Amino acid sequence: MQTPGTIISAAGHTVLIGWLLLGWGLSSDPLEFDTMVVTTVSGEEFAALQAASTPDPGTAEPTAPVQPVTDTAPPPPADETPTEVAPPPEPVEQPVEDTPPPPPPPAPPVAEVDDVPPVDPAPPAPPPARPDLEISERPRPRVTDTIAPVPAAPPPPDAAPDEIARDEVVQDETADREIIEDEQEATAPPEAETEIAIADETPSGAVETSIRPSARPSRPAPQVEEAVEEPTEEPLTAEAETPVEPETDDAVAAALADALAGAGETATPEAPAVAAGPPMTGSEKDAFRIAINNCWNIDPGSEAARVTVTVVFELGRDGKVVGNPRLISGSGGTDASINVAFEAARRAILRCQGSAGYQLPPEKYEEWREVTANFDASGARY
Amino acid sequence: MFKKLMTLLFVVLLGTQAYALEIDLRNPQVEPLPIAVPAFQAENAAAQQVAADISRLVVQDLTGTGLFREIPPNAFISQVSSFTQPIAYPDWRAVNAQGLITGAVTVNGNQLVVKFRLYDVFAGTELGQGQQLVGTVDGWRRMAHKVADAAYSRITGEGGYFDSRVVFVSESGPKDNRQKRLAVMDYDGANVQFLTDSSAIVLAPRFSPNGDRVLYTSFESGFPRINVLNVANVGRQQLATAPGEMAFSPRFSRDGRQVIYSLANGGNTDIYRTDLASGQHVRLTSAPSIETAPSLSPDGSQIVFESDRSGTQQLYIMPANGGEARRISFGEGRYGTPVWSPRGDLVAFTKQNAGRFHIGVMRTDGSEERLLTSSFLDEGPTWSPNGRVIMFSRETQGAGGTSAMYSVDISGRNLKAVPIQGGASDPSWGPLQP
Repeated sequence: MQTPGTIISAAGHTVLIGWLLLGWGLSSDPLEFDTMVVTTVSGEEFAALQAASTPDPGTAEPTAPVQPVTDTAPPPPADETPTEVAPPPEPVEQPVEDTPPPPPPPAPPVAEVDDVPPVDPAPPAPPPARPDLEISERPRPRVTDTIAPVPAAPPPPDAAPDEIARDEVVQDETADREIIEDEQEATAPPEAETEIAIADETPSGAVETSIRPSARPSRPAPQVEEAVEEPTEEPLTAEAETPVEPETDDAVAAALADALAGAGETATPEAPAVAAGPPMTGSEKDAFRIAINNCWNIDPGSEAARVTVTVVFELGRDGKVVGNPRLISGSGGTDASINVAFEAARRAILRCQGSAGYQLPPEKYEEWREVTANFDASGARY
Repeated sequence: MFKKLMTLLFVVLLGTQAYALEIDLRNPQVEPLPIAVPAFQAENAAAQQVAADISRLVVQDLTGTGLFREIPPNAFISQVSSFTQPIAYPDWRAVNAQGLITGAVTVNGNQLVVKFRLYDVFAGTELGQGQQLVGTVDGWRRMAHKVADAAYSRITGEGGYFDSRVVFVSESGPKDNRQKRLAVMDYDGANVQFLTDSSAIVLAPRFSPNGDRVLYTSFESGFPRINVLNVANVGRQQLATAPGEMAFSPRFSRDGRQVIYSLANGGNTDIYRTDLASGQHVRLTSAPSIETAPSLSPDGSQIVFESDRSGTQQLYIMPANGGEARRISFGEGRYGTPVWSPRGDLVAFTKQNAGRFHIGVMRTDGSEERLLTSSFLDEGPTWSPNGRVIMFSRETQGAGGTSAMYSVDISGRNLKAVPIQGGASDPSWGPLQP
C-alpha cells in the first residue's frame, strides 16, 4: 500500500521540485536578459557617445569614431542624415559661416583661397595662375587696403599657432586626419599646408604677387582651419548631436548638448595647451620650495619651532601672491606658538616673492595657482 | 539610464580640471630677524635725549638676544617724522625690514610717557595694538625694557625677560681674600645695587618667585645659615630651619611660602622643607648619602636634586613631598646644581667631566642632554623668566683668576659676558617685573 503511494508521491514531488527549479531558473533568466537588452539598446547610442567622448584629449578612443565613419558612413548618409551628407558639398558654405571662429592652422586657407577664387570664375584659374599673376595685381590695391590693417597683425600670430596646432592635431588623433582628408580631399589640405608655410614666410618677403593671394586667403584661412579642425570634431559632434536630440527629448539631451559643446571647446588646440599641460617637474617644485625656504626664518629655541603649520596662498599669473596667505591648520604647540609659526611662514611667502614674483612655468599656471605649503621646523630645532 | 550615467560621467570628467600644488618645507633658516627701529619721536623738547636713549636701548635689548638684527638707520628709505603717520611698507620692505617699531616719547616734569607700535612689514599689518607706558624719567631704562619685551613677545610668541633683575654675589679682592657682597642688577648689568656689606661671606642668593625677597647662605656665625632678605628695605632675618649643623642651598617654593633646602647632620645631608608662616619642617629625603641642591618644578609637584647615592654625583627627581626618586642623569662625569626650567620641559645643570666644567640642559626624563658651554669652571645656572636664556658664573684659571657672569641661549648660541664692573658669581634671575 505504502510502496506505490510512496513511489507516486516521490515521483510527483520530484516532478514538482524539478519544475519549480526550472521555473525559478526561467524566472531569473528573463531578469538577466532585461539587463542585456539595456546594453544592446544603448549600442546604437554607443557610437554617438563614444564619438562624443573621443574629443577628450586624454582618452584614446579614436577607433570608436572611425568605426561609425567607415562602417556606417555610406549607409547613414543615404538613410538618416542627408543633411550630414550635404556637408561635403557644403564645405564651401560652412567655411564662409564659420570663418569668424579662431584661425589656428592657416595652412589650408591658401588652398581654399586658390580654390575659392578659381571656383567662382572657373577651375581653369589654377592652371593660368602664373599668367593670372598680372590679374592678381588688380586685387592687390583693393585687398591691401582692406586686408592690410586687419590681417596684417594676425599673420605673425597665425604662423606660431600653426605649428602648435599641427602638432596637437597629430598627437590627438591620426584617425581624424584621415576623416578630414576624406572630406577635404577635394580642397587638398596637404597642398594647403605647404603653401601656407610659404605664404606665412613670404608675406614679409618681397614676393608681391604671392602675397596678394595669401592676404585674401587669410580670411578664408579660418574657414579652412575650421574645416580642418571641424572634421575632427564634426564627425563626433555632428553624429552625437543628431542622434541624441531625436532620441531623447528630456533634459538629458540638453545636458548632453552642453557637455558636447564644452567638449568642443576643450578640444580646441589652445585650451589643452594651457590647462592640460604636463605636470610640474620635480625640479620646478623644488625650485619653488627652495625659493620660499630661503626666506623662512625660525628661532630654533622657540616653541614655534616645534609647531607644524599648513598655509594656503594663491598666486597670480605673474607669480606674485594674491591676497594674504591663510592658516589652514597648526599642530604641536599652543595657539600662540602656532600663530608665531604662521607669521614666520607668511613672512617667508611674502618676502621671497620679491618684486618679480616667483619664477614658475607660466604654461602650468593652473597647477600652481593655489599652493598648499606645510612648514615643519622640527629639522631646525637645536 | 545608461545614457544618463554616461552623460553624468562625461560632465564630471570635464569638470575635474582643478589643480593645487602642495609643497613641504622642513629646513628653515636660522638667522636673526632684521628689524628697523627708527629713533622714537620726541613730542616735546624735554624728551629729546631720553627718546633717543630709549630707542637705542630697545634695539640693544632685542639684538642682544641674538634673534634680531638691526637695520642701520642710515639705510632707511622712509623716515618716520610722526608717530601717527601711515607706514610706507614698500620702503621698509625695500630695506628688508621684517619688523618695524615706531615710538614717541613725552616728558612732563619727571613724568615719562612712551608710546609705541609694532609692525609686520611684509604682511603690511600692525602686530597687536599700540601701547602707552607711563613712568618716571629716572626709570627710562625700565620703560625701554618693557617696550623691548612687548616687541619680543609679540614676534616670538614667548614672554620677554628684559625688564627683570638678577641677584648675584659681587666679588672683589684677590682670590685668597675675596670680599663678597650680595647685589642686584638689571638683566643687562645696569643699575647695580648692593644688598649686604662685605663683613661676612655670602653664597648662593635666590630670588623669591615675585622678586620681593632673596634667600642666601651666610657664614656670619661661622656656620652656613640661611637668611631671608627683603629687597625693598634690605631688612633681613635668619630662616628658622630644622635643627642641624649646616643649612644651605635654599630655594623658594613657587608660591614663595615655603623654602626647600639642604641640612647637614652628622655627616649626612638631606633635603628639607620649611613653611615660612608656620615654621614647620618636613624632611623629604632620608638616604645615608648626600642630597642637596633641590629645585622645584614649575607646578610644584616634583623636586630635582643632586645625590651621590649611586657613588657619583647625579641628578634625581622625586615627588615634592618626598618619596622614591628616579635618576635622570646617566652620562659620564658628575652632575650638580640642577635647576628646573620655568617652562617645565628642561633641567639645567653643571657637569664636570674630564677636567672641564659645562653648563648643560636635558629633558626631565634625562633625554636629549646638551652641553651649552665648556670652560675651566662654569657653574650655577639660572633661568631667565621665559626659560629661554641661562645665566651662570665662569671663573678663570690661576691665582689671579676672576669670576664673571655669562649668559647663553638654550640653543647654545649667543654666549656672552654680562657687562659689569668687578667680579661676580652665583646669579639668580628674578621674575619679569610688573
